[in-house]
Amino acid sequence: MKPFLVLMLSLLSVSAHAADLVKDVRARLVDAPLVRGQFEQKKTVAGFKKPLVSRGDFLLARDQGVLWNTRKPFASTLTLTRKSLSAEQGTGGAAYHLDSTKEPALAAVNELLFALLSGDVASLQKRFKVEGALVGAEGWKLELTPTDAGLARVFKHIHLEGDGYVRQVQLDETRGDSSVITFEQLAQTPPPDATEAERLGK
Amino acid sequence: MANKLAIFWALVVLAVGVHQVQFWRSARLDTDVLALLPEDEQAPEVDAATRKLADDAGRQVVLLVGAQDWPSAQRAADEATRVLSGAADLLEPAMVDTSALDQAVDFYRPYRDRLLTPAQRQWLARATADELGGTALMKLYQPAGAQLTDWNADPLGLWQDWWQARAAETSARPRDGRMWLSGEGREWVLLMWKSKVSAFALGDGSRVTATVEQARAKVEATVPGGRLVAAGVPLYAEAAAAQASWEMSTIGFGSLAAVLILVWLTFRSLRPIVLVGLSLTLGCAVALSVTALVFERVHLLTLVFGSSLVGVAEDYGFHYFAARQGKAPSERGPVMRSLLPGMVLALVTSVVAYLALGVAPFPGLRQMAVFSAAGLTAAFLTVVCWFPSLDTGALPVTSFSERFSASITRWPRIASTKGWWLSGAVLTVLVAVGIWKLEPRDDLRQLQGAPANLIADQRELGRLLGLPSPAQFFLVQGDSDEQVLAREAALKTKLDALVAQKVFAGYRAVSDWLPSEAQQREDAALSARAEALAVAAVSASTGEAPTRAAFSPEPLTPSHFLSGPAAGAIRQQWLGTLGKARYSVLMLRGLNDPKVLPRLEEVAHGLEGIRWVDKTAEISGLLSRYRRIMGGLIVAGYIAVLLTLVARFGRQAWRAWVPSVLGTLLTLAIFGWAGAPLQLFTVLGLVLLLGMGVDYGIFLLEHPGDGSAWLAVALAGVSTLLSFGLLGLSATPALRSFGLAMLLGEVTIWILTPCFRLPPGKATH
Repeated sequence: MKPFLVLMLSLLSVSAHAADLVKDVRARLVDAPLVRGQFEQKKTVAGFKKPLVSRGDFLLARDQGVLWNTRKPFASTLTLTRKSLSAEQGTGGAAYHLDSTKEPALAAVNELLFALLSGDVASLQKRFKVEGALVGAEGWKLELTPTDAGLARVFKHIHLEGDGYVRQVQLDETRGDSSVITFEQLAQTPPPDATEAERLGK
Repeated sequence: MANKLAIFWALVVLAVGVHQVQFWRSARLDTDVLALLPEDEQAPEVDAATRKLADDAGRQVVLLVGAQDWPSAQRAADEATRVLSGAADLLEPAMVDTSALDQAVDFYRPYRDRLLTPAQRQWLARATADELGGTALMKLYQPAGAQLTDWNADPLGLWQDWWQARAAETSARPRDGRMWLSGEGREWVLLMWKSKVSAFALGDGSRVTATVEQARAKVEATVPGGRLVAAGVPLYAEAAAAQASWEMSTIGFGSLAAVLILVWLTFRSLRPIVLVGLSLTLGCAVALSVTALVFERVHLLTLVFGSSLVGVAEDYGFHYFAARQGKAPSERGPVMRSLLPGMVLALVTSVVAYLALGVAPFPGLRQMAVFSAAGLTAAFLTVVCWFPSLDTGALPVTSFSERFSASITRWPRIASTKGWWLSGAVLTVLVAVGIWKLEPRDDLRQLQGAPANLIADQRELGRLLGLPSPAQFFLVQGDSDEQVLAREAALKTKLDALVAQKVFAGYRAVSDWLPSEAQQREDAALSARAEALAVAAVSASTGEAPTRAAFSPEPLTPSHFLSGPAAGAIRQQWLGTLGKARYSVLMLRGLNDPKVLPRLEEVAHGLEGIRWVDKTAEISGLLSRYRRIMGGLIVAGYIAVLLTLVARFGRQAWRAWVPSVLGTLLTLAIFGWAGAPLQLFTVLGLVLLLGMGVDYGIFLLEHPGDGSAWLAVALAGVSTLLSFGLLGLSATPALRSFGLAMLLGEVTIWILTPCFRLPPGKATH
């Protein structure tokens, strides 16, 4: 009986600690309805010796979605809204469109990417075991391990780092590939222009 | 001679007793409605298909648990699951879990390059090298997403789409570790359970149904707006079993009790009760044994129908006791001998009528026919062989029987008077108008007696889940597996056009999971070319030298596929070899509008080896055809009966014949006036009426002016009326219609027959 009690108490203290951490991280994050910035993505893929590096810019509008514009090494755009995921090559050609109202797995991925980019720790906590620490006066680091079986099939771990904004996301896939995405020149303005608004409206 | 017969019959009864013990121990009872449906002699493969589709679902219970939002739906599902798990001796979960999906993905992995959707085929065939390269790069650089394979095993990301197309066959999707779907204003969780017990067990209670109802109550009580929809063969079987056992006890015991009370009133002696009871019990036991021996399994409805047999089988005992009443015990032999000619004639007409029911190719009807004919014969033999030996004491005339016997003299008798002619004319007009108003109806619904709530649940479940219809499908035939799969593909091309027009939602075909070898070869070549271009473009762009993964050099074969983990979803549609050919079934989803059926039927035209099967229409057609055949049989039957009667009674034969004809016509007229449809089962009731109605006339002609014959006829009429009248209470529309036809017919014949009796002092021979 006694060892069981001790175990229970230690579990309670961990979750109390995790709750504190989440509260602290949320306190350090800027609560912005819109974030823009540049990104750099380094993706390590089986079959490729060097990491695949891509650069571009992005727009996260909390209520509408994410626009992910890759500029180098080639132009392509990815639009992610609550309803759909679509991608398009800059020079026309290849394109695809997925409707998340028909595919809940996609809805879950959408929700996850949203949460990751905006540092929505409360929402992440539903599907991940959250561990981490505060860094310095403004920074923080989180390590997420999926608790949901569906997500565990895709991701082994996800690392998040940031201060007032999320600065780096590292995705370790179960199949072995991994991506590190870093964000720069983050700002809360300007609001979406006409083309962007149209893409997000889809 | 009499003693030898008695001993012989005792030996038969002993054998039947032994058989009965064995029968009830193994209880081979059928509750499946399909077992009652006609066999299709011209197309045994259609039967095989229907049965295979039904067998597969035999023990499945499908539940949808819904609520306003997803968290409440999950909570409702948990509540339902808890209740269902509580009945572990009864139900087990039968959910396709995520590990099954993993296994299926792994199984298909070596053949990935050979599996393309029609859209992918089109795209890969026309895409330029730039487009292919661009797509591969885009997918390569995309932020992480759920990939089923390494990049080089699927550089264009085709695999995901193929699986998505397979998943589109049902509207349920995995979500948070459950099967989810959204529809009709609610979020739903799909639960699949399997019954561990077979549902026929009579009197065992409807335990699966009770558990499901408990789960429903729990969901509705604990989750606001919670709802549970359930369907499955076990629920239907239990409902059928409960209904049948209720009807059996009501009809069977009800008429038995009535008969015994009548016997008591008439004879005030225990002996006739015991002996008539004995003849009934033996009749039923022999009937059951003969049916079990001929058909192997006995259907529950046969028992329900058979319990009405009681009302007919005691006629022989009545005649014996009515004739023997008030006579010295030593006259038993001569009494029996004087009764024999009439009894044999009555038995023959009844048995022939019962057996005529078996002309229709409905296994259920054939069972009932054999059951009734055997039971009637056994009751007759018991009376003839045993009654004179067992009935030894005195049997004085009671005041009840005396008064009743005398009543025949006060019964009106038809004569050539103004009044009779006038009533005859009025009756003729009423009958003619009634028959003119009669409307035939031959739909399948008359065979179903399932409770309305089960049918409603089944419909809702079908709508929400987009389940394929088991009643309408395409049967694909070929000389080889390869040909079947290729023909299926040709059919699908035509169907795709209708799906695009939203005529119906989609289909489920084996060839979607197992393309023909030729198709696999084509697809492998197509994807090899496109992916080589894609890999080359990525190689040029990244300066690295990735290689496309290798796939199985051999095609996926039917035997390998069917033994693999991915075949579970589709195995029931692969019929394999039947006779000389090979067959598969292509099922249709979202077929809600019967008006589109002709368009589907048209699709099969001009396609070799494709046959459109519409079970509902086929059975309705069959019901209508046999309604007409049986109608003709009745006319022929009356002519045959008239000839038989003439042979025995000469010019007076019409007196036994006309009441039955009038009874039949009046029954039809009453159905017409009441707006009740004329169906096969009404007609079958009239067939039986033909056999039994003339019995009364026969007895009255055999023993003219004999009060005891009238007493026996009256007793027989009342008891028959009771048993078939009770059959009119049946919840199965077919049995009800049958019972009502019998009831109306019997009553009118019973009232009319004495009106046609011989004038006093006249005799037929």
